[in-house]
Amino acid sequence: MKNLYRPIESVIEEIKPETPNITTYRFRPKEPISFAAGQFVELTVPGVGEAPFTPSSNPNVKDMMEITIMSVGTVTEALTKLKVGDTVGIRGPYGNGYDLSDFEGKEILIMGGGVGLAPLRSLILALFDNIEKYKKISIRYGAKTPEDIVYKDLLPEWANMRNTEVLQTIDQPHPDWKGTVGVVTVLLDDLPLVTTVDVEKLPFDPDTAVACVCGPPIMLKFVNIALLDKGFKPENIYHSMERNMSCGLGKCGHCMMGEYYICKEGPVMTAAQVAKFEDPF
Amino acid sequence: MKEVFIGSENLLKLIGRWAKDHRVYVPVTFDIMNNEATPDYDLVKDTVPDTIQLQGAAPAHSAKTFVFYPREVVANYPSSDAEANVVAPPTIVVGPRGCDVRGLGKFDKVYWSTKHFTEEHDDPFVVEKRENTYIVSVECTAAKETCFCTAVGGKPYADDGFDLNLAPLGTGCIVTVGSERGGKLLAGSDDLLREVTSEHKSEREKNRASVTEAVDRQNAQFAVETPYDKRDLASSEDAWAYVTQNCVGCGACNRACPTCTCFLLVDQRATGGYERSRNWDTCLSTGYARTGGGGNSRPALAQRLENRLRCKFEYSRDRYGLVTCTGCGRCIDACMGRIDMREAIKHVVTEKAKA
Repeated sequence: MKNLYRPIESVIEEIKPETPNITTYRFRPKEPISFAAGQFVELTVPGVGEAPFTPSSNPNVKDMMEITIMSVGTVTEALTKLKVGDTVGIRGPYGNGYDLSDFEGKEILIMGGGVGLAPLRSLILALFDNIEKYKKISIRYGAKTPEDIVYKDLLPEWANMRNTEVLQTIDQPHPDWKGTVGVVTVLLDDLPLVTTVDVEKLPFDPDTAVACVCGPPIMLKFVNIALLDKGFKPENIYHSMERNMSCGLGKCGHCMMGEYYICKEGPVMTAAQVAKFEDPF
Repeated sequence: MKEVFIGSENLLKLIGRWAKDHRVYVPVTFDIMNNEATPDYDLVKDTVPDTIQLQGAAPAHSAKTFVFYPREVVANYPSSDAEANVVAPPTIVVGPRGCDVRGLGKFDKVYWSTKHFTEEHDDPFVVEKRENTYIVSVECTAAKETCFCTAVGGKPYADDGFDLNLAPLGTGCIVTVGSERGGKLLAGSDDLLREVTSEHKSEREKNRASVTEAVDRQNAQFAVETPYDKRDLASSEDAWAYVTQNCVGCGACNRACPTCTCFLLVDQRATGGYERSRNWDTCLSTGYARTGGGGNSRPALAQRLENRLRCKFEYSRDRYGLVTCTGCGRCIDACMGRIDMREAIKHVVTEKAKA
């Protein structure tokens, strides 16, 4: 029988610093690994262990994979010591991705916080490949400081794509920052509360608009509240759930939330799916 | 199901024949603590040990130990075969009780998916051991103080899920054939077998009734109104703080449990590269749910014990259609804080009803 726990040897092809503690790595796996936007892989640093990451590269590119990683734990710290040409392991992909056919003809709001923009980049690139299929793509991104912004070179390119806008904020005022200041929910201020305006005048169609959210748990919590207030349907709000996905196979138990394995029914879960939990984020 | 009778001496001969081409484990008593220690499994070598003990209640270890090892290497890297390298010689386990056989049902749901739950991945390490391990279940002839199978929908004997089932009687056992391959274990041993008589059957019925009654009687004090598979547990923090007060989070209950399937993957240096092992894990440890950035959805021990009991009574039921407490009582036997799971369940179910 096939061994589910075997990592596929992958060579580090490029290392690109994004911020002082966030880096994008490009890997070339020795066997091609196909994934859908939103799915995750288990990345092995040899002898240290595995951790789950959602790739940030275009899922339509099969022979290489990019992952943008913030250095916060044992595996990610060990990764920072590796160089171009070194070998890691990749296992996967696991979990569900975004079902892009559900997004066709709709307005898509993409909300990222900090390194949470990384998994969304894979979604954004997949959307751009068929951009004519979507009504509008609105990317709204918050970082702590200007220094902490990832993909600084890519954001202006994205803003130039057809029917695409990019809005940004940083948490605290900063001498180098001329734009919006405040936590990421301030970027929703142009979307009025659904209860206060004539639905006809809303800048989006609350019945069909979808939102894809990824960031720290506290951000998911408040963005979820804000989006529901602004009329988004719970089944149209897609969160990237953060749990300790360890085996990726629905077996080891570490990512369980109620009867769900986040590694199987997640990591992308709708607000409707998680509504029954007191504090799902 | 086909049934035959085998005398006590002949049963030992039959086990001896099996041991020629299988690893055979039987429950034995240990000559310690004035023989009061719970019997546990031993490997049959040249002869069947005369300490074999089929009477009484369940052996110390649950049957999961034979299909899900406490530690097992599951991968070598950087280079390894796409195929799993599984060591699973033909094995016969004599002794699992009704609670243990039910417990294996959870392993089948989680690990043996093509057979039981089509959307999951098959785990080669558990599946190949399941396929190569014969279960010869044994009916309980007594209840230990902590047994409560009948309070969670079980019985002190298995109705199915075995290859052979033994019902110990005074002079031998009724052998029930539960699978085709179980029948093959009897092939060529007609010289050892007799027909089952109505006396044998009535002795078995009497035994079943008396053990069932004993289990029912000792659990009357823990009875709650809600049926075992319809229970919703308390949501109040106080209720869980109460049941957790003597818990130290050691995880002995997880390891003793016939349905705790969770594991931890550990990577380390090994000859020629690295190896990845799979180790029994405990959901009571602080780091169990901790994520990379330090987040933890269950930082408090009470939340973790709550999660453990909800897993048994709610989550497994909702996901797999199985309440995964089988009432074996091992968690109670194992707990150094002397937490009685029956009291804990009664408390959180009663508190829920009050709320």
